[in-house]
Amino acid sequence: MTYRTVVVAVLALGLVLLPAAPASAQAPQVQVTLAQREVAVGVGDRLGIEALIVNAGDRPSEPLVAHLNVATLDTGVYVDLEDWTAGPTQGVEPLDPGGSTTLRWVIQAVNVGRFNVYVVVMPRGGVAAAPTPLTASPPEVVAVAGRRTISAGGALPVALLVPLLVGVVAVAARWRPWSVR
Amino acid sequence: MADQSRSTGWTIVARQEGRDLWINGRGPLLMFAFSVLLSVVTYVTASNLVLNFLEQREAVNLVLQVAVAVGVLVALVVSADGISGERDRGTLENLLVAPVSRRAILAGKFVAALSVWFAAFAVAIPYVWVLADGVLIAGPALVAGLAVGTLLAVGLVALGLLISAVSGSNTVSLAVGPLVLLASFAPTQLPRLPQGWAGEALRRGNPVGAGLHYLSAVLVDGHHWTRDLSYLAAPVATVVLAGAVLVVAGPRFVRLTGGVSRE
Repeated sequence: MTYRTVVVAVLALGLVLLPAAPASAQAPQVQVTLAQREVAVGVGDRLGIEALIVNAGDRPSEPLVAHLNVATLDTGVYVDLEDWTAGPTQGVEPLDPGGSTTLRWVIQAVNVGRFNVYVVVMPRGGVAAAPTPLTASPPEVVAVAGRRTISAGGALPVALLVPLLVGVVAVAARWRPWSVR
Repeated sequence: MADQSRSTGWTIVARQEGRDLWINGRGPLLMFAFSVLLSVVTYVTASNLVLNFLEQREAVNLVLQVAVAVGVLVALVVSADGISGERDRGTLENLLVAPVSRRAILAGKFVAALSVWFAAFAVAIPYVWVLADGVLIAGPALVAGLAVGTLLAVGLVALGLLISAVSGSNTVSLAVGPLVLLASFAPTQLPRLPQGWAGEALRRGNPVGAGLHYLSAVLVDGHHWTRDLSYLAAPVATVVLAGAVLVVAGPRFVRLTGGVSRE
């Protein structure tokens, strides 16, 4: 068997096996999309993030985990996900082919700036353990405007005057110059 | 004629109790301490830039919750002094021989103790107003605070009077009411409440905790006022149970000696 024969045989084998390649493409393909592309809020506001998870494959998906994440687009802004949401992760039951489910998170914008909020879906057993790859949604851009209207200067007069007035009333009630016993 | 005498009886007791409370200085002093507390909370809330998580509605909610919780607690303490305090000071005998029914005595003391809550709420109004400036929630916050606080105050004042009537001494009465309240409130302050029905029962079982949770849901989460009404089940149950026992059995407990045994 010559070298050329071996090469031809390998190529032929490859051509024969090529149709088998779509077998992995037929594995469940999960797609994630968010309901909105961009939203503008004020700091402290709560906003809903809605993710549509679709099984676009032709086999049922395995149990999945959907994880919401927040990434800053401004350097110097530290994002602590726990401050934005207490429950970033939600479980997703197996989806039939063509099936879909909608998940919703309510998050609180606690930093000022621009952020990408996105959802990642992965198999509950870990990416390596299952054929479904880790899938991320397109981001929803959240622009958070600063808003600080609580003013110590504005609160100070009230903080001083109210106890003063109540104290004067208390002293007057105890002294009772008008009272006849 | 009998009805007229009954209504006159409780108003006379209420007026006398109100005079003792507000003119003799105890009520105004309590309100002074209350206003100092609210001043500190309001100023720290408004000035502490480190508390970045404090969105303005949360700041309003925080001050309102302190006002409601402390206001109803003070009303509870005042009511817990109602009968047992008279007993310890030796003045209950005079009250019992006065031409008013025992139910009228309880009604008058109930109204007087309830006035502490309304006074506390009046003191809290400027604080809520100044913190809510700009976010247009002063009105809803004050309405919700008044409604929830009054509901809590009615239930707790009735409970305080019952405890006071059956307690053997004023010290016991003054200790038991707040202690019961704190004992049921403490588990709700755990950093992580158990999930499921146990956590939910802890959250909803304490009337004050459940009432404050309702305020947060309306003011901070922006829920419609009808959405979390189920959280007011415990405050309503306290009003119904304590109120019913006070009305039906309360007069029997107004005696020179404490305890629940029959005379």
